Amino acid sequence: MNSTVASYFAQSKEFQAVVVFFTDLFGFDATSFVSFLLFGAVATIIVGAMATIGGLGTYAERKISADLQMRHGPNRVGPYGLLQFLADGVKMIMKEDITPKAADSFIFLIAPLLCLVGVFATLAVIPYSSGFILSDLNVGIFYLVGMASLVGVGIFLGGYASNSKWAMLGGMRGASQIISYEIPVTLSILAIVLLAGGMSMGTLISSQGGMPHEWNLFHNPFAFIGFFVYFIAALAETNRAPFDLPEAESELVSGYHTEYTGMRFAFFALAEYIEVFVVCAVAVALFLGGYKVPFELGSGQIFIDKIGMDAMIAKNIGNFLEIGSFMTKTLALYYVVIWVRWSLPRLRVDQLMTLCWKYLTPIALFNLVGIAVWMWLFDGASLFTLIFHSTGSAGGH
Amino acid sequence: MFANTLFLLSAALTVGGAFAVLWSKNLMHACIYLLASFFGVAGLYAVIGADFLAATQMVVYAGGVVILMLFSVMLTGGSSEKINRFGLEKIPAMGNKKTLFAAGFASFVAALIVLKILAQFIKHYDATPMTANLPTVERIGVVLATDHILAFEISSVLLLGALIGAAVISRPRREKND
Repeated sequence: MNSTVASYFAQSKEFQAVVVFFTDLFGFDATSFVSFLLFGAVATIIVGAMATIGGLGTYAERKISADLQMRHGPNRVGPYGLLQFLADGVKMIMKEDITPKAADSFIFLIAPLLCLVGVFATLAVIPYSSGFILSDLNVGIFYLVGMASLVGVGIFLGGYASNSKWAMLGGMRGASQIISYEIPVTLSILAIVLLAGGMSMGTLISSQGGMPHEWNLFHNPFAFIGFFVYFIAALAETNRAPFDLPEAESELVSGYHTEYTGMRFAFFALAEYIEVFVVCAVAVALFLGGYKVPFELGSGQIFIDKIGMDAMIAKNIGNFLEIGSFMTKTLALYYVVIWVRWSLPRLRVDQLMTLCWKYLTPIALFNLVGIAVWMWLFDGASLFTLIFHSTGSAGGH
Repeated sequence: MFANTLFLLSAALTVGGAFAVLWSKNLMHACIYLLASFFGVAGLYAVIGADFLAATQMVVYAGGVVILMLFSVMLTGGSSEKINRFGLEKIPAMGNKKTLFAAGFASFVAALIVLKILAQFIKHYDATPMTANLPTVERIGVVLATDHILAFEISSVLLLGALIGAAVISRPRREKND
């Protein structure tokens, strides 16, 4: 059984009590039924929370851009303008839903849904903490890459179905960009998979530690370069500036979603902002130690040993610490993404392709080989252990 | 029960998608139905516990092949005229009722024969319970790098050939210096 939220909560007494209650009620073993209910509840919570984070992402984008340009940004709706995204959402819903006359209405309808479904499906393997992960698949990161590629299909079809020249060009650019940049992204992920020795999120994170020197980022020089390759390529994959050519507003009006109005447009925007979060979360999980908290606080063992706390409460506290650690790192990267957008000018199309095929892909390949050689030469020891410990006692991180 | 539900859903998606591809007159729509069918196949893999295959199915077919198909459909363009300037039919007829009937009958008979041959294996197939999602990645990797190394190498050479070929074709031709 893969570790999931259900298997985490199954350790608690309350869960067992509920199972006993339903077993008496139905007359058969209700463990899987309660797991299913719990699973549905947690999935709803995660989707709701992520939609909020996507909404707050638009707010953060406008506020940070305002800061960088010496403006105030949204400050009327709610405290500090925090509720601006809700006001925008209400406005979007009230807008008339227009389908252009010459558009392919079936594809026009399905394109934003494909984008959103692809992004939401990736949330299943995002590790928020050691207990709070919807499903720790054996092929977790690979599944994530596969699901994220649906977004490319959605953008392309959105551009095609609109039957508008701007949207068409935007969609073509989007698809070619996403296909191209998938290669450096996947190669850098592969290098870390090689380092950790597994594709499940649990394996990837448990090979790291809470302190920065135990992160994969500082494991060896190749991983350090790999992080930047991944981050640049992921920016391009999510169509963020300086790679936002599919929606280059100075040339293409608004790119692939030019013809979209109301909630359908909001779906595209929401998918983009949640995908940025997912990409940052993957960067954190792969390179920045994931949900690990220093001094093994995450397992809650220290509370049990020192204070004599109840085991489940101690575990819950540990998990909250882990969620905090994970969210802090991810949102810090989210800030960097927005920061980059408002600092750098946009690339040209040919520069975009040159960057991908002539620089990032060879560097990522070089990293892959480099990490393989490093693992073989030093038996998986990190740079830190090589410097500060004798090689004989290395390992353990 | 959960596995059965998942199987039925995936199978319905696969078969339904495949039929929709056949019936759809619009190539772009057919591509989307094909995507649905591919997802159904990925679901089928997931049901039998082949998680790596399922993920690969999504990465390769959903991510790569469908987008390439959409691209090629779009780049080759379409026109409403079914007859080109030489008076030939551009889209060759897929057959009339007679040929379709003959082909259907032939495939039905062929399927019966194949089933007859397979029957002895199917009958003696004891449904082993689903393994508890053992990681398949490692075993696939080991088998690929040992027993099936020849197939692995041949496919890598093929891919390299395709890569070089694409680079050669897309390269701008140099004007001959005189």
